Amino acid sequence: MKRLHRFFQTPEAIAGALILALLVIMALAAPLLFPGDPQAIAGPALLSPFQHWSLPLGTDRLGRDVLAELFHGARTSLAVGLTAAAAALLVGAVVGTMAGFAGGLIDEVLMRITDAFQTVPSFLLALAFVSIVGPSLGVVIAAIALGAWTGPARVARAEVLSIRERDYVAGARVIGMHPLEIAFREVLPNALPPVLALSSVIVAAAILTEAALSFLGLGDPNRVTWGGMIAEGRTVLRTAPFLSIVPGIALVLTVLGVYLAGEGVVESTAVRRSLS
Amino acid sequence: MSGLTISRRGLLAGSALLLASTALPAIGRAQTPKKGGRLIVAADSEPRNLNPAIVASNDVFFISSKVVETLAEASFDGKDGLQPRLARSWEGAADGRSVTFKLRDGVKWHDGKPFTSADVAFSALQVWKPLQNLGRTVFKDLEAVDTPDELTAVFKFAKPTPFQLIRNALPALSSVVPKHIYEVGKIEDNPANNAPVGTGPFKFAEYKAGQYYRLVRNDAYWGKDEPYLDEIVYQVLPDRTSAAAALEAEEIQLAAFSAVPLADLDRISKVPGLKVITKGYEGLTYQLVVEINHRRKELADLKVRQAIAHAIDKDFVVKTIFLGYAATATGPVPKHDPQFYTADVPTYPFDVAKANELLDEAGYKRADDGKRFALKLLPAPYFNETKQFGDYLRQALAAIGIDAQIVNNDSAAHMKAVYTDHAFDLAVGPPVFRGDPAISTTILVQSGIPDGVPFSNQGGYKNPELDALIAKASETLDTAARTELYKEFQKKVAADLPLINVAEWSFISVARDTVGNIANNPRWAVSNWADTYLAG
Amino acid sequence: MTRAIRLLRRRLVGSVFVLLIVVIGSFLLLEAAPGDAVDAYIVSTGGDAGMIELLRHRWGLDQSELTRLANYLWALLHLDLGQSVTFSRPIRDVILERLPTTLILMGSATALSFGLGSALGIYAGARPGSFRDRFLSIGSLALYAVPGFWLGLVLIVVFAVDLRWLPIGGIETIASAKTGLARAGDIATHLVLPVSALGFIYLALYLRMMRAGMAEAWRQDFVLAARARGLPRRRLVLAHVARNALLPLVTMLGLQSAQMLGGSVVIESVFAVPGLGRLAQEAVAGRDTPLLLGIILVSAVLVIVINLLVDLAYAFLDPRVGAGEAGA
Repeated sequence: MKRLHRFFQTPEAIAGALILALLVIMALAAPLLFPGDPQAIAGPALLSPFQHWSLPLGTDRLGRDVLAELFHGARTSLAVGLTAAAAALLVGAVVGTMAGFAGGLIDEVLMRITDAFQTVPSFLLALAFVSIVGPSLGVVIAAIALGAWTGPARVARAEVLSIRERDYVAGARVIGMHPLEIAFREVLPNALPPVLALSSVIVAAAILTEAALSFLGLGDPNRVTWGGMIAEGRTVLRTAPFLSIVPGIALVLTVLGVYLAGEGVVESTAVRRSLS
Repeated sequence: MSGLTISRRGLLAGSALLLASTALPAIGRAQTPKKGGRLIVAADSEPRNLNPAIVASNDVFFISSKVVETLAEASFDGKDGLQPRLARSWEGAADGRSVTFKLRDGVKWHDGKPFTSADVAFSALQVWKPLQNLGRTVFKDLEAVDTPDELTAVFKFAKPTPFQLIRNALPALSSVVPKHIYEVGKIEDNPANNAPVGTGPFKFAEYKAGQYYRLVRNDAYWGKDEPYLDEIVYQVLPDRTSAAAALEAEEIQLAAFSAVPLADLDRISKVPGLKVITKGYEGLTYQLVVEINHRRKELADLKVRQAIAHAIDKDFVVKTIFLGYAATATGPVPKHDPQFYTADVPTYPFDVAKANELLDEAGYKRADDGKRFALKLLPAPYFNETKQFGDYLRQALAAIGIDAQIVNNDSAAHMKAVYTDHAFDLAVGPPVFRGDPAISTTILVQSGIPDGVPFSNQGGYKNPELDALIAKASETLDTAARTELYKEFQKKVAADLPLINVAEWSFISVARDTVGNIANNPRWAVSNWADTYLAG
Repeated sequence: MTRAIRLLRRRLVGSVFVLLIVVIGSFLLLEAAPGDAVDAYIVSTGGDAGMIELLRHRWGLDQSELTRLANYLWALLHLDLGQSVTFSRPIRDVILERLPTTLILMGSATALSFGLGSALGIYAGARPGSFRDRFLSIGSLALYAVPGFWLGLVLIVVFAVDLRWLPIGGIETIASAKTGLARAGDIATHLVLPVSALGFIYLALYLRMMRAGMAEAWRQDFVLAARARGLPRRRLVLAHVARNALLPLVTMLGLQSAQMLGGSVVIESVFAVPGLGRLAQEAVAGRDTPLLLGIILVSAVLVIVINLLVDLAYAFLDPRVGAGEAGA
């Protein structure tokens, strides 16, 4: 309760929480408010916003309802952001814990692999991966996670290094617990908070990466995403600017919301933020 | 002037005709062609091999056709739709075994050596026949090229070859390259493939990867007073939206091949100083086609294919996806083709109820979720419009209970998936009609083509009757009889639907008002631009 | 000095392994791709089965994967990056042609985001919690949340098309034959928009890091002591608070270099800048395996060198840092 109270102390955190709550409501309400396929053709093409009551935000190049796409896009954008971040954090935490806890050769090998991933620009990696495997939602998520797990791995390793010499770990060793068990039951949970502090950065980056991939024509064509909407709207940027501005605003607000809320959480748990 | 069909169909028909008139030299505005100046043009792709004798494709021609010339070029009003270039006349023998070309006198290569019949013989036998993507089919029976004198080349064929086909192939397939440069070493490795040498009005000057190609005036060109321009520069603009911006910012003067997105044309036509031109692509018709994998049991059923044809609203496609800059298709030959087209074929008007009925009859009833079966749909990635049509087709199929999942691939992966691995149910393809069905159209439905050949029948369709018809037409010498056979071909294709022809489109150019003599032949964008000029 | 040498040696040994992993990993990834260089080439040309086989043989694509990997590594040992199939030129030449452009773009964008970001960060962090602090911090975040390509397109419409202050793209006026200072000026004007689009995105990173560091520094003993001594505020902020917050930013500089290289893929495409990022995209589309490997290798070396320089600078700036710590 106290923590919640602390969270709501800064206006930024409140704003972030509000945006995220709105987003979640949009995502949940999408199938109720706009049942059926959001990519179905609903009216004349390129209808401007506020022209027709049933299509309040207008239509795109094929006559699809922009508002319906926006709501359904919230679902995919959130799904991409959260899943990719979860995957990156999971992989990163496991690799980091293993490296930090095992030390020696395993540490050396795992960290060189981490280095290798970090020296290749993550967007380039995502681009190559998606072009090769073919764009679908799962592949896009995997591609984003592939470039994002190294940060959490490093933080986890550093944290594990400082934890592994502590008393309760030594105690666990004495009572004969299996090293893997110690690593994942005793050490990992304690190393997690600073790793989780990275999640807002990763979620935001994931949403932006998805948009950039869509821009290069590497989004999932069967799903509506905001990035895909912006990418499609850009060819008519001058003629129908609303097509890229509407999802653009949604995207900016979301990334902002994720950041602000994330920061609020970090500050309220008093965990020092570490970007690296 | 059947060439105007497409522009008349355009939404901007009124303004298009008005603009078209400025493009015709005879009735043009009171602008006199002016000498000099640099024309800057948008290029959205960077072909690596610039030898049009090996790679006969439009993105290569766009640049190389100014440097390397063909024997003849397409024409709005010339005999058989042709005008002479390096050949002054051509004559086919009655037995279909030889064609005689009389060549232009006094033509010099860019390096000063004279152009002779030996160059034509070399190009035909050493390049077109063994190496060229299209020539390998059309010139497959070419046996020898006799050169009785320096200005006569006689093509000898092992089997009777229709003169009509050779004639129709001239504009795209007959780029002549210099023998003295190509006879040294392997033709494929020749440096001139990247820096072409020809007889054309412009010489190749330089290529900066990722930036530009530059051509300069050939002072020794055979055309009187030609060329007008001093330089042509192709600025590489990879992003689809930048051509429009570059035109408005006056950084380029011409964007061809619909480099300006169709949806932007309405706005850009109102920008002072810019004109939208729908002419000049009549000989470069692209067809929007639904390719069908007949290995799928459902799709092997004619009723299902008919249902799909009925489910597509071709008018919507033309109006919304192509914004009117296209025409609905009835079969494998485009409507405006002056030689072969027939409208007398079975048609499939947009009728969802009928489509549903056909599917019910075929035994594919809707399940409880309203779906009959699922399909994998692969739209070709080369054009915005093919991708958009993919999105539309998915919706159109949903209306008749077919659940299509779109698979987006990049070019290489699409190529492999459709033409080699056959890992598709439906695909959206943009084949090109090149003036004669035998050049690149019959191959779309003919059986027995090995795996991996792009833009060919890879859907496993096999129809012995149709194959026999295609074989017969390919050796019929009489023009009228041959044309009749291809009309029969269109009927059979429309009836049996090995693929579904949806629309035919060509491209739009946007240029500054100062650019003159645009679009004065049916393949203008890929012709030599010798008479193009910059006013004021 | 010995510390620096030890750091250098340790890094070099580690880097060789890292590069090996990068090369083999990328090679395997590309091998898994559907369609090869011939498929990509044939899209624009068309052709029949015989021609396809011919090309595959000419480009060495009919050899086994292992043979090609071994050949590649063997050539690499001799510092030979091989021949690009799409450009039919040595890959070294193709990359060297594009590398300076990307370096200038990245360098300027980094300078912009780092310089402006830390300056604004100091301005914001001088009074933590003030209006300007909040405004700058959220404003920069909003900028960070804008997709780079979209920012680029809007900049083009406003500054190149409507106002016509700046060119719409490219690296220099094409075929202008400018030399010396005139050419440098020409390149500079062409770089303004892409550098802004790339740099403004990463500005938030440095700004927020700076102000976070400063917020922390304000609470530290030596600052409190200096404050008690009655040091002028301006001096206090610059000499004590900001200076302490600057070090982590330097580390960030190294870490960001790889991301900047990735971000330039999109920016180079929007602004038609002929750099490495666009080349990489073309290499992927053309399935030009050796070219993409070359690009990845060169960018990996670049990132390693930048990080090494950053670490050396760090070790120089902050003597407390041990050489060993900077490894891993």
